[in-house]
Amino acid sequence: MISCKHVSKTFENNGQKNEVLKDISLEVAENEFVVILGPGQCGKTTLVNIMAGLDHETAGSVTVNGKQVDGPAPERGVVYQKTALFPWLTVEGNVGFGPKMAGLPKKERKEKAKHYIDLVGLSGFEKSYPIKLSGGMRQRVGIARAYCNNPSVLLMDEPFGHLDAQTRYLMQEEVERIWSQDKRTVVFITNNIEEALYLADRIILLSNCPTTVRNEFKIDLPRPRDYISPEFLKLREEISKHVETTE
Amino acid sequence: MKKKFQNSKTETVVYFICSLVGLLIVWQLAVSFTSLQKVMPSPFVVLGFIGQSLTQKIGGKILPLHILASLKRVFVGYFLACIIGIPLGILMGCSKTGKAIVKPIFELLRPIPGLAWIPLAILWFGIGETSKYFIICVSAIVSIILNAYAGASQVDQTLVGAARMLGAKPAQIFLYITLPASVPQIFAGLQVGLSSSWMAVIAAEMIRANEGAGWIITTGMESGNTVQILAGMISIGLVGLLLASLLRLIERGLCSWNIQGR
Ligand SMILES: Nc1ncnc2c1ncn2[C@@H]1O[C@H](COP(=O)(O)OP(=O)(O)OP(=O)(O)O)[C@@H](O)[C@H]1O
Ligand SMILES: [Mg+2]
Repeated sequence: MISCKHVSKTFENNGQKNEVLKDISLEVAENEFVVILGPGQCGKTTLVNIMAGLDHETAGSVTVNGKQVDGPAPERGVVYQKTALFPWLTVEGNVGFGPKMAGLPKKERKEKAKHYIDLVGLSGFEKSYPIKLSGGMRQRVGIARAYCNNPSVLLMDEPFGHLDAQTRYLMQEEVERIWSQDKRTVVFITNNIEEALYLADRIILLSNCPTTVRNEFKIDLPRPRDYISPEFLKLREEISKHVETTE
Repeated sequence: MKKKFQNSKTETVVYFICSLVGLLIVWQLAVSFTSLQKVMPSPFVVLGFIGQSLTQKIGGKILPLHILASLKRVFVGYFLACIIGIPLGILMGCSKTGKAIVKPIFELLRPIPGLAWIPLAILWFGIGETSKYFIICVSAIVSIILNAYAGASQVDQTLVGAARMLGAKPAQIFLYITLPASVPQIFAGLQVGLSSSWMAVIAAEMIRANEGAGWIITTGMESGNTVQILAGMISIGLVGLLLASLLRLIERGLCSWNIQGR
């Protein structure tokens, strides 16, 4: 469970103030898949970093599972916009990194990593280095690495922003499948309405900078969803109206 | 991909051989047809001399033993430079204040060639082995330190953040992120340092020594023996090339993650 209360963030550079987040309040229920939909450069990564504990809000508070967030913790897993895999570690080494830090013996670590490598569909690539993988495969590793640390909360920051359209659809279906098999509380960031509609239990729409919560949409379509069903297209139409008015 | 890689490798070898043979031909032609022959022996005379001195002594030792003597000095001095330089550079890269204090000193030392240390080294340590180790060490250490420093200070902070999110403590971040992330840059410093120390040993031996590759050149000069000088120079070039390739091989093994298409 995640709760942001009146979260604001202002960056200061050489006396110049840049108000990025302004009074953001939102709740994410346990095992709920929430998609935060926001325009480019509106502070999405900043919000994720604050929820993760990698950055501090200038006002307000963030709690996860009832505890105040005041630094990184393995109960919160992050999947990054630019993958952030460790290039000197193999797929297996990346996925097993969290358990290794926790002191899990090598054999159990390997088994655990194997389980999540299989889950994201990368069997056979255990010994490959990230540099040899395609963009989509790297994001699969990023997802497996986050999952393997067994976090109660997953924060995914535009994980598919850099993928081509075809791979992006495929990865959306994969995330849906993985989440359905192994449910977590998810905050998924995107600027793509279709992606949001395909994945979300609930969509939170952000405004332009300084960013506030603009709107919320509960999405009750049955899963897995169909990108071209009339209901899907209707919702897409409706939400895009709201997105346009934020410009 | 793999096939292409092997092709370009054989290509490199072919070109390498071509350029060597070309050099020999040009040298031989120049000696045969120009007045260069008055000051320069033919390449085959020099190569013959090298072959001969594999078994015949020059000043009490055969050529390989002279080279071995130089190599031993390099290894002692270079090893010292590594065990002092790598940790010092990494520490500088990790601590902001440490860097602020130490870095200007090394930036100032960097342009001073190792050879400029020879007079001081002789005054401090005499003309024995110690002063040679010292000269080699200072010649190599500056680039080793500055590169290790650069490697450790340029670690991608997103990766550090990712490791912290996965539960890594500061000591684990140092061990599992900072160190491996710095390895390629550390090797760049080791490479430069090795060639500096190989140059330094030759210079040190040319000034004071009774064995070594540098000594061969100087005694050649004293006795007016051009063949011996050239033989010494060629051996130095070959051994330097060999050392650099050896280090590159080790680097390949350690940094395969950093090489596209392997
Ligand atoms: N460390 C920082 N210091 C100063 N300003 C920052 C910092 N990080 C982000 N910003 C500013 O905050 C704004 C939002 O950045 P952020 O990366 O959070 O946006 P984003 O929505 O994730 O962008 P994108 O769509 O490109 O992913 C930007 O204008 C950026 O300049
Ligand atoms: Mg971003």
